[in-house]
This record gives sequence, C-alpha cells and structure tokens, in this order.
Amino acid sequence: MNILLELGLYFSVLSLLSVGGMPSVIPEMHRYVVESRGWISHDDFIEMFALGQAAPGPNVLISSLIGWKIAGVPGALVTLAAMCGPAAVLSFWVAGIWDRLQGTQWRAVAQRAMAPMVVGLIMSGGFVLATPGGSPDWRLWIIAAGSAWAMVATKLNPLWMLAGGAALGAFLFR
Amino acid sequence: MSPEDFTATIGLCQFLPGPNVGNASIVLGKKWFGLKGSIVAFLGFFGLPFLWVLALASLYGEFALQPGVKPVVTGVAAAGAGLFIGTAIKLGKPIARKPWALAVLMACFVAVGIGRVSMLIVIPVAAVISYLLAKRGLL
Repeated sequence: MNILLELGLYFSVLSLLSVGGMPSVIPEMHRYVVESRGWISHDDFIEMFALGQAAPGPNVLISSLIGWKIAGVPGALVTLAAMCGPAAVLSFWVAGIWDRLQGTQWRAVAQRAMAPMVVGLIMSGGFVLATPGGSPDWRLWIIAAGSAWAMVATKLNPLWMLAGGAALGAFLFR
Repeated sequence: MSPEDFTATIGLCQFLPGPNVGNASIVLGKKWFGLKGSIVAFLGFFGLPFLWVLALASLYGEFALQPGVKPVVTGVAAAGAGLFIGTAIKLGKPIARKPWALAVLMACFVAVGIGRVSMLIVIPVAAVISYLLAKRGLL
C-alpha cells in the first residue's frame, strides 16, 4: 500500500482512539511505526519526540515530526491532518450536544470511566519511551524519574525538566 | 466568554478524543463563527507552529551526526518520558484509592506498555469494562 495512504488511514484511527489527548496514543504510534512496520528506528522516534517536546507549539506536532521522518513534508502534512481531522469533525458535532448533556448521569459516568484508562495509557507512553526494546537502562530511568518527580513536586515550567534531561544526558551518555 | 463556559469547553475537549488544543480551536471557532470560524481557528493554531517545528527538524538534521548531539537528545527524550509519568501520577492521584480504578489502570499499562498489545484492541475492551464499572459506581 502507498505509504502516505497507510499513514493517513492509520493516524485517522488513532485520532479517534486518542482519549485524553495525544499522549495516550504515543505507545501505539511507537508500536506501529517502529516495532510493527519498521519504518523508522526507536532512536529516530525518540529524536522526533524530543524535538516535539522541546519546540514551542501543541504537542500533537510530535505526530507530524514522525510523519516527516517517515515520508518527508507530505508525510508531515498527512499525519497532522489525519491525527486532527476525525477528532475535529467529532468535536464540531458534539459541541452542541455536550451542553445539553450537562448534569446528566451518562456524562458523569463516561468521564469517570475514562480517567483510569487515560492514566494507564499515559504511563505506558512514559515507560515505552524510556525503555527501548523493553530492556531497562538505569540512566534513562534516572532522568525520567527525576523529571517526573520535579513535575509532581514543583511548579517548574516543564522546559526546565527537559533542560535538566539534556544536561544529564550529555553527562551520562558520553 | 464566561469562566464557566471556558471550563466547560476545556472539559469537553479533554473528554473527546484528539489533541485537546485542536478540539478547543474547533469548538470555540464554531461557537462564534460557525464552520468558517472552526477552520480559521484550527489553521491559525497549527499553521505557524507546524512550519516552525519542521524548520527546526530540518535544522536538527544538519547537526544530528555531530558528536555530543545524540546524548543530549536522548536525555531530553528521557526527561519527556518522565513528564508523561509525572502527568500520570498527577491525574492518577484522585482515583488511586479506588481499587477498581487501579485495576483498570494497571490492566491498561500491562497490556499496552509491557505486553505491547495494539490499542485498537485494548481501548474498546477497556472502555466497555470501565463504563460498566463506572455505571455501578465502582470508579
């Protein structure tokens, strides 16, 4: 299949599965483009993730960076459109209904049902990114643990955690 | 727009699948200017950052093979992974005392993070189970 077409179709499905936003589908994106299709390596994926985190702008741009790495500028456009499109159409429709559901039991139940899934998926994303090939590297885990701690315990701008990661990385991976 | 409206809109965008900011631009654009508003808001929100991030990536490509670059990038990515874990801990605090919520959380983590099962399977299954649990007041 044409790679752009496959990227577009696949990311459209991810768009509708991305409960809780883009971080939830990172592990699936990694599974597909790195492990299943082998379009890019784990290191490529990590590079694009790091760039997307460090650059200003919405974090969904990580998906267009991954599309760019796989298929150049057309890949970047296709993945961004596919990642946002189906969810955008859904939001456009639901926007009107949502207000009417305010205070209904269904809405409260659905929101409570989603919370533990979202947390489990975001945790998976962190684990997959910091554990290449499923084999632990204590240096990656130390950096990740430090940044997780800083996020929970302080009100620092996350850019400081990324800067700290850069400094520790330069030191630990020489 | 009142603060209550704003909170309700953000709640909706976090609830819907898809990038939150993308959804917010659609919902807010629609509120004031209909479909045209949605499209303009969406393009306005993504246009410049998209070009900017691609320019940055191309620039990075020039330097990627220099010695010393890879360790830094590896460190940034690990810190980014830590931000995910931190987010999960923050979001997880309010539900950590509910045993069924913890069970769903761990099941998702084991299936997706460790077992590497496709989310195309995990999400629908987990959604049904989680919804049934929530309906009985267990979540």
